[in-house]
Amino acid sequence: MIMVLPFVTGAIAAWLGMRGKRSACLFAWFITFVIFIAWCAYHMTDPLTLSL
Amino acid sequence: MNAYKTSAAFTWPRFLNTLGLAGISATLLFAFVWQFMFNELPCPLCLLQRVALVMVGIGFLLNVRFGSAPSHYGLIILSALGGAVAAGRQTLLHMAPNDMGYGSPFLGLHFYTWAFIVFVLVIAACAVLLVIDRAQSMLSNSAMPNLFARLVMWLFVLLVIGNVVSTAVECGFGACPDNPTQYLWLKH
Repeated sequence: MIMVLPFVTGAIAAWLGMRGKRSACLFAWFITFVIFIAWCAYHMTDPLTLSL
Repeated sequence: MNAYKTSAAFTWPRFLNTLGLAGISATLLFAFVWQFMFNELPCPLCLLQRVALVMVGIGFLLNVRFGSAPSHYGLIILSALGGAVAAGRQTLLHMAPNDMGYGSPFLGLHFYTWAFIVFVLVIAACAVLLVIDRAQSMLSNSAMPNLFARLVMWLFVLLVIGNVVSTAVECGFGACPDNPTQYLWLKH
């Protein structure tokens, strides 16, 4: 899991948004979101030490 | 896009979204200050919460840059939900007896708990903005935001780039350890 990757795509999205490229920004945001979900699945699947 | 054109560069929703973006930037800045002042390295879950903050900020930035639109609010809410899940998960992770939590607390709460509160507040703010934002229409690209809004957007972009550099120095081009103690690229 490349931890820096969602920050890179997020930075690209923010930059594209600043430059007025809305569609490209939305696409980059979506890529960031997909990576975020994937990284969450990787880092958040250990069992918790409490009973819910 | 012409169908969406309005004449005013200043609108209350745009101003309130600028404040939202300023709040997200302030949160990212504060996390940075804490990281470097106390040499507390963010863990993978902490970094994921920062990613969610960045995604929330992108939604606010779109509202500021292009005018408010339901799709932009959708991005913000989805991002805040993701962030709340990550922050909630980390809160539950450290809820066990004799667990002192990760990092030092601020005003009695750890940063992941604060992050959870921030994400819930963002969702609430979006709900309010959707109620008061009657226009629900995008401004044309030519209606540039005012100087304050442009400065806030630049600050946000710089903070996101700062996070890219900081995360790369901490984790390199791989996964971060669960309890990082030193920056990978600064190891002797």
